[in-house]
Amino acid sequence: MPMVVGVVAGVAVAAVLVLIGLFKLMWRVAEPNEALIISGSKHRTEGIEEGMGFRIVTGRGTLVMPGVQAVRKLSLDLNETELQVDCVTHQGIPLKVRGVVIFKVGDDFVSIANAARRFLDQQKLMSERVHNVFAGHLRSIVGGLTVEEMIRDREKLTGQTRAACGTEMEKLGLIVDSLQIHEIEDPTGYIQNLAMPHAAAVQRDARIAQAEANRLATEAEQQSFARMAEATRDSEILQAGYQAERDKAAAEARQAGPLAEAGARQEVVVQETRVAELEAHRREQQLQADVRKPADAAAYETRTLAEADRDARISSAQAQAKETELAAAAEATRVKAAAGAEAEATKARGEAAAQATRATGAAEAAAAQARGLAEAEAAKAKGLAEAEAIKARAAALAENQEAVVAQQLAENWPEIVKAGASAFGNVDNMVLLNGADGMADMFAKALTMGGTGLGLARQLLASMDRDGQAAQGASSLNGQSRKVPVDDK
Amino acid sequence: MADASMVGLMGRVTGTVGPGLVGEVIVRVRGGAEHFLAHPASAGDRIETGTVVMVVEHLPPRTVYVTAAYDS
Repeated sequence: MPMVVGVVAGVAVAAVLVLIGLFKLMWRVAEPNEALIISGSKHRTEGIEEGMGFRIVTGRGTLVMPGVQAVRKLSLDLNETELQVDCVTHQGIPLKVRGVVIFKVGDDFVSIANAARRFLDQQKLMSERVHNVFAGHLRSIVGGLTVEEMIRDREKLTGQTRAACGTEMEKLGLIVDSLQIHEIEDPTGYIQNLAMPHAAAVQRDARIAQAEANRLATEAEQQSFARMAEATRDSEILQAGYQAERDKAAAEARQAGPLAEAGARQEVVVQETRVAELEAHRREQQLQADVRKPADAAAYETRTLAEADRDARISSAQAQAKETELAAAAEATRVKAAAGAEAEATKARGEAAAQATRATGAAEAAAAQARGLAEAEAAKAKGLAEAEAIKARAAALAENQEAVVAQQLAENWPEIVKAGASAFGNVDNMVLLNGADGMADMFAKALTMGGTGLGLARQLLASMDRDGQAAQGASSLNGQSRKVPVDDK
Repeated sequence: MADASMVGLMGRVTGTVGPGLVGEVIVRVRGGAEHFLAHPASAGDRIETGTVVMVVEHLPPRTVYVTAAYDS
């Protein structure tokens, strides 16, 4: 029984396994990067119009009848083709262009069908075919471009590529993802020459920048060296300072011993000095006690005695002085009394004398008055008489001037001659030249001087005559004053 | 898998579309984005790179005719 069960189970398992194996054989799955091309069944042609004869499955599984249907895989992966083409540009410059074309089978069923019909057995040769297609097209593309455009205008290159190859690749069921020019070999050096001015400019700028950088670097370096030197100097100065401090401290330390010794010695000396001082002090005290005190006592005794003596003398002198003073005062009082008496007497005498003098003066004054009056009376009488005389003479003058003058001259002649001779009065010794004539001459001159005085008198009289007539009315009053100038003539 | 209709899809110009040029547009289709060769739907249009376009005609396998999606 268990045997039967085991056989049944085994058969069942085997059947299941066989079923799984069959299913595995019949069920095919398309991977994401491949398309299954299934041929052999007329029905179930998906996506493709009639007449195609096969169906395309992408991205899923499908049931395939082994022996009835054939399944082939078409890779949808990316392919690339290296291009190496000799070509000539629009300007006629020969170039060697190396590039790469990246392409794949299109994802739509039309492209897959086209590609399947062309490349299903030649998937390995696809690159070669594409290379051949592109080599020819690239020549025509490059021939339509200039070198500058190729280098700079990639858009134009791709546009030209699409225009030239797009439709052809479409026929093959392929799409071009990119066409890249890797390298352009330039046997004539055109590109290099094209770049040369720019390269030169760049080189120049680079050299300038380099030089500038060098300069800056050198400056920085030199500054750095200077700083380093500065720092070294500062450090050395500091070190020297510290060294000096150390030396100083060491020297002080070395000196500490002797210093302490000297200090101790100084202390000793100080103490000794103190002892000596104390000794001296003690000695001084002793001397004070032994010598000075007795001397002081003696001096004090002497001084006290002298003072007593002096005081005694002073007292005696004071007594004397007092006595003298009192005596003087008494004398003074006496003299003052005597003087008072004398003054009284003198005063009385003076008053008496004054009285007498006044009386005498009054008497004399009365006498003088009387005498003065008498004299005045006499003078008055005399004046009147003279006035009469003058009046009479004036009358006479008026009548005969010449006679009066002559008379007057005659009266006064001796006087005149005397006056002329007075010029010689002072002559001590006179020498006369020219003999008697000289003498006569001299006298004549002297008399001429007198004659001159006569003329003058005459003039005066003439003027007086005119005045005298005008002033005759007042002559009685002014007689006295008028007489004097005439009389002096 | 049926080939989905391309007409009416929106795309972006990646290579200038114009008369005498073979342009390129990239369109979201079949779960990814694929590029197609593009020509202007109305002759004489020039559509610069970056413009949003609409597919008005699909000529299999990979050629589309486009027109600018927005008036600009």
